[in-house]
Amino acid sequence: MGFYILSYVCIAVFIGATGCLIYRQITLPLHVRWEIYPVRHETTARVAYGGSYMEEVNWWNNEYKSSHINELKYMVPEILFLRGLWKENRSLWLVSFPFHFGMYLMIATFGLLLLHAVITLGGFPAFTAGNADEALLSGLIAATGWSGLIMGNIGSLGILYKRLTDREMRIYSSFADYFNILFIFIFFLAALITCLLGDPLLEGAKAYTFGLLTGGHSPHPYVPGQTVFGRTTIVLASLLVAYIPLTHMSHMYMKYFLYHKVKWDDAPNQRGGKIESAIMRNLDLKPTWQAKHVGADGQKSWHDIATSAPKEMK
Amino acid sequence: MKKSLKPSDIAKPSDCLCHIEQGELSPLPPPYEDFNQATITVLKPEKIKNIESSLDDTVAIGIPKPASPEEEEKLVSQFLSGLKKLFERDNNWTFLQPLMLSMEHCAKCQTCSAACPIYETSGRKEIYRPIFRSEVLRRIYKKYLKPGGRITAKLTGDIDLNWTTIARLAELSYRCTLCRRCATVCPIGVDNGLINHEIRKLFSQEMGIAPKEIHEKGSLQHLRVGSTTGMNSLAAKDSAEFIQEEMEEITGYKVEIPWDVEGADILLLHNAGEMLAWPENVGAFAIIFQAAGISWTLSSEAAGYDAVNYGLWYDDVQFSRVAVKHADIARRLKVKKIVIGECGHAHKALTVIADRLLTGDLNIPRESAMVTLENIVLGGKLQFDPSKNNFPVTLHDPCNIVRSMGIVEPQRRILRKIAPRFREMTPHGVENYCCGGGSGFAIMSGYNFGQWRNLVSSRRKFLQILNAFHDEPQDIPKYVCAPCSNCKGSIRDITDYYHAEERSGLHYGGLVELIINALAGMKKPMIRFGEKPSWEP
Repeated sequence: MGFYILSYVCIAVFIGATGCLIYRQITLPLHVRWEIYPVRHETTARVAYGGSYMEEVNWWNNEYKSSHINELKYMVPEILFLRGLWKENRSLWLVSFPFHFGMYLMIATFGLLLLHAVITLGGFPAFTAGNADEALLSGLIAATGWSGLIMGNIGSLGILYKRLTDREMRIYSSFADYFNILFIFIFFLAALITCLLGDPLLEGAKAYTFGLLTGGHSPHPYVPGQTVFGRTTIVLASLLVAYIPLTHMSHMYMKYFLYHKVKWDDAPNQRGGKIESAIMRNLDLKPTWQAKHVGADGQKSWHDIATSAPKEMK
Repeated sequence: MKKSLKPSDIAKPSDCLCHIEQGELSPLPPPYEDFNQATITVLKPEKIKNIESSLDDTVAIGIPKPASPEEEEKLVSQFLSGLKKLFERDNNWTFLQPLMLSMEHCAKCQTCSAACPIYETSGRKEIYRPIFRSEVLRRIYKKYLKPGGRITAKLTGDIDLNWTTIARLAELSYRCTLCRRCATVCPIGVDNGLINHEIRKLFSQEMGIAPKEIHEKGSLQHLRVGSTTGMNSLAAKDSAEFIQEEMEEITGYKVEIPWDVEGADILLLHNAGEMLAWPENVGAFAIIFQAAGISWTLSSEAAGYDAVNYGLWYDDVQFSRVAVKHADIARRLKVKKIVIGECGHAHKALTVIADRLLTGDLNIPRESAMVTLENIVLGGKLQFDPSKNNFPVTLHDPCNIVRSMGIVEPQRRILRKIAPRFREMTPHGVENYCCGGGSGFAIMSGYNFGQWRNLVSSRRKFLQILNAFHDEPQDIPKYVCAPCSNCKGSIRDITDYYHAEERSGLHYGGLVELIINALAGMKKPMIRFGEKPSWEP
């Protein structure tokens, strides 16, 4: 039961920390535009060369449009295959791609394990051990699991090696950077050994995931906690889930904000619109910058200061 | 092998943290090999004895040395107070979210390094690497402002905070042109250019530290006199009168420059530097607009005849003041739209950044001159004879117009129509290289900064220009079209510094000059290679 409690706590930390990160982002004041082109939700023709709606005469008379399809056309290969890194930093891509794809496959495996557990829990008669549907799902679990473990091991070891041997990366790497990679590598390694030593079809993972939904009850005779490597895998996987949102590794999902809320945020301010209301709230904020020319005293708002002359002129 | 500098080394006192040795700069091709061994002239000790100059071979700000350890301590505490404010909504709503995201999610993968022209051409000097200064700021922030930071710094990257760190960081923030090429290649979306921009702001808005050319003679003078050039309204009108006469003399075309026309369709905002350094640009705009029958005006009100907004580079408060002035002038003139002339940073400042500042009737529509000109040139109202531009032409993409605004094709469509020998640089468009004069560098030349710019920050652009014309005979005249005043300034300086007019036949100018040169019915050509214009001594 101790393992399950650890897992529950870690999942709660993940949800709580991720929730805080997202909450903080969505409650920040609207910032000034700082987009950089190409902005991928532009029209297909403009995306091709990095153009914007501001290339049109009297652009403000046109309806502002944003193409989610074009965003997806860019983001799906970017997220799955790290297209940017492939183009700009090929030697890092060789280790970063298996690392990230290995992680995605582990997330996918966990998703499939959850699906398996839910179906089993539902007691669907068509889904009993050995029948075609169950075999297909189990086969998928084994395939994604093994692929993820192999890629994750290669990738994390490769990144660790790259960080240690590449002078440019080494200079900027701290203890925490090495620790993060080592942590993930040991998780991948422990999980791989667990499977290699007698659980090639991830039966233990299935049983443990089922147990996660039932408070520790498992119909399966084998659970990974029975072996040292199995126990290590459960502990590391749980801790990793809790740890990721506390580090810069949260870029995995915080990238959404970096792209959509900064890099591609080109929405124009229209009179009477939501953006204008947000700007007016911002202009009521009261800065305390100390340089003489600013003339802030904690009482004057941004609006007051922007419409006044610098102190040096008075 | 030399020991590599680490971010923490910025705190260690020494006479010079980074020096570019002979032969370390990216090599230039023939006939410029004689510049390959050039180094930056050492500043005389008496010139720098009272200022901070321990970063590298040049000085951009010239921060006075503190008189006592107590003063040093006071400055360190001011710095920390400013750093804290960068992360507060009341003080930094303008960039809080982008800054936090870039500070928290860098994976230090170094993908940005190869994209930076300064880092690459300097011989890969560590301090010019895009993440060097970001990492310094990140470490200071984590150690001195985050709870428990002094303990966790041992794990996440340590740094000492002293006056040396701060003085060098201030100088270092003026070794990046804010071209944001690094940000376009970051797989995560981290923007080291933005972090650099925020460092500059901290120094200016909290400590009053900024290069003279940008602050005192720049944005302050702009608000006080009306223009960063020092020209008052009367002088601007005098210049325009002179331009009218010169244009008639040069082109045979009688042009009237309209001032303060209430209700005009367009308020045209020029960088006032054009009136002094490149008056033909202002004249060419006037001819095109007049010939196309456009209702337009200039403003003679203080700041209204100078489109620049230096605050964009270093200070949100100064930025806001100038942007509000520009918009208010347009509002009172009751124009339908503002058109921004050939000035890159003015484009981005008023069209993009000020878009989240101007509300209500100050939110006047704003358009790039590239777009307005395309509409005129391709609209069929004017007749052109492209054979008049029968010389090799290449186009420089100003970062602020292209990468930061996505205005890429209008200027190209114009050139394809009027310049038969137009060719692209490599790379171009949103992947362009900065002219080396971005973020104020073009107007900064105190101490030996101009030489650093010519040798280091503009070097990649110079190589690109040479490469664009590599298939042309050396002695024929070639035209670099740079539709931005700051970029033109940088290209003028590299042309002079490397004697590129004599050695490669390089000439430079704006887009409107090429348009006028191809305009049918002009008595004389506007572009006359080798002839000095009448306004030059």
